[in-house]
Amino acid sequence: MDKIFRLNIKTTVIELFLVFIVFGLVGVLLLFLNALLGPKRTNPLKEKPFECGSPYLQKDINPFPVKFYLVAFLFLLFDVEVVFFFPWALVFRDMAGTALIIMAAYLAVLILGLIYAWKTGAFEWD
Amino acid sequence: MNEFASLSPLLILVGASLIILLLEAFGQWSKRWLHSLIALASLGGCAIFAATFWGKGAGYFQGTYTLDNIAILMTVLFSLAGFLVILVSLSYMIQHGFNRGEYFSLLLFAVSGLIIMTTSEDLIVIFLGLETLSVASYVLAGLKKEDEKSSEAAIKYFLLGSLASSFLVLGLAFIFIHSQSFSLKEISFVIDKSENSPLFLIGFSLVLIGFGFKVALVPFHMWTPDVYQGAPTPITAFFSVGPKAAGFLVLFRLLRPFLEPIFSRQNLQIILWLLSALTMIVGNLVALRQKNVKRLLAYSSIAHAGYLTIALMTQDGQGLIFYLLAYLFMNIGAFSILIALSPNGQEFHELDDFNGLATRAPWLAASMSVFLVSLAGFPPTAGFLAKFYVFSTAVRQGYTGLVIIAVLTSLISVFYYLRIIVHMYMSKQISKITIKADDPILLVVIFFCLYGVLQLGLFPGRVLTLIQKAVLSLPPL
Repeated sequence: MDKIFRLNIKTTVIELFLVFIVFGLVGVLLLFLNALLGPKRTNPLKEKPFECGSPYLQKDINPFPVKFYLVAFLFLLFDVEVVFFFPWALVFRDMAGTALIIMAAYLAVLILGLIYAWKTGAFEWD
Repeated sequence: MNEFASLSPLLILVGASLIILLLEAFGQWSKRWLHSLIALASLGGCAIFAATFWGKGAGYFQGTYTLDNIAILMTVLFSLAGFLVILVSLSYMIQHGFNRGEYFSLLLFAVSGLIIMTTSEDLIVIFLGLETLSVASYVLAGLKKEDEKSSEAAIKYFLLGSLASSFLVLGLAFIFIHSQSFSLKEISFVIDKSENSPLFLIGFSLVLIGFGFKVALVPFHMWTPDVYQGAPTPITAFFSVGPKAAGFLVLFRLLRPFLEPIFSRQNLQIILWLLSALTMIVGNLVALRQKNVKRLLAYSSIAHAGYLTIALMTQDGQGLIFYLLAYLFMNIGAFSILIALSPNGQEFHELDDFNGLATRAPWLAASMSVFLVSLAGFPPTAGFLAKFYVFSTAVRQGYTGLVIIAVLTSLISVFYYLRIIVHMYMSKQISKITIKADDPILLVVIFFCLYGVLQLGLFPGRVLTLIQKAVLSLPPL
């Protein structure tokens, strides 16, 4: 690689790094500035978790079924699979045989995972 | 050189774990023993197939996968660890109601991640192996679904682990900017020995943070006690042996070009010196206050990471691998005793539960004492020789101050290891919990670990020459 190009990359990265640091510092500063400068007038009512008067009716949060996380998992499976397909398609012409085998092995592993999820009841809603 | 067959250890493990998953989905409930048989056979096959490539230097994927002698040695070590962990968890998992298919296949995936980490010389592939290991580990830590501590362990491990991984990736990016390559060999060529590039140092520090998390070096150790305590005990044994060994070996390969005695890489050496000293001091001092033996062993594992960092700093490959091997036997042995102390799905791991164990289960108490003595580093056990080799190399290379700290902190560690023995043998009140050491497989594993600890402590010659051969076969820089 060209030496000048490398130098440029380096300086840009250092600059980027500095920018991140500066923004981070400003962010942290703002966080604490509020606590430092803001007036603090508290009373017992203000300290309550539910401030606008009427007491809450229910004390705990009841557990509720989270069913979409499984769907999200399986979606991720197919999503990542497609992401891998694009670079694979680009090099396919150069290395057809090997690429086909590699993708077949990759898909086989994913499909096995899908079969396992299916069989253990990940798709059953209730 | 370029042989497809050299992939066989990995292919066997991955294939076996997929087969186990399929069996779990389609198999009959009565044939559950088949899973453990397949898992054990695949680990054995993995070690044997890896051993056939001894001295051949085979590889695949354009050199990103190189099964050199050190990698073979580590593959055998990881397979042994996996094998022992599966054996000790056979009755534990029935008592705690684990899903066998998931447990075994996740464990095999974790072992294959370890093997990928140690067989590669390409940083991206090493990262890939680390993630294979990590994702499996996060799930394994939370396998006790009903137990709050176990879920806490899984979530803590996942959040902190992914943070550490992101540090690692950023570090790899910096190293790539500097050297335009991910291959360890090419990176070591590119580095101008006189130049102290800030980018490169940033990159290296970030990578060190990533791996320091995995092996539990001190500023990055916060997850260790909670995860070790919360995770199922066999899995804790695996965590304390496998990822630690793999992490140290990767660091050994990574730092080799930079720690040659000819070039005094001051910055890197100072960082490692501080990490090692901090890890030994904090690990051992905090362990003094622990009342829970599982948590105590977690801190002891942090302390041992400190001793191992000395071997890393002096580039003492032989001492490092011997230490890791000795650590495997004594730690899996100690955790096997803890498994014997958790009958019927409950765990009795408080220090008071050990009161009078010598009268309740004399054999367990005796073997536990040997493992603890070895962890503390007394002669005729493996722990003594391991520490002796590491420390003596360090003294020869002039790190006397660090070795003094190491010896003093090991002296401190003797207190908390011996306290467990005192509780077992000299306690007035005897704990009421009945312990039945009636699981023959567990007893066999304990006996095997005992044999390993004493064999490595008394007659380490053949193992040492094997390790020496492997280290000497590394290509010169």
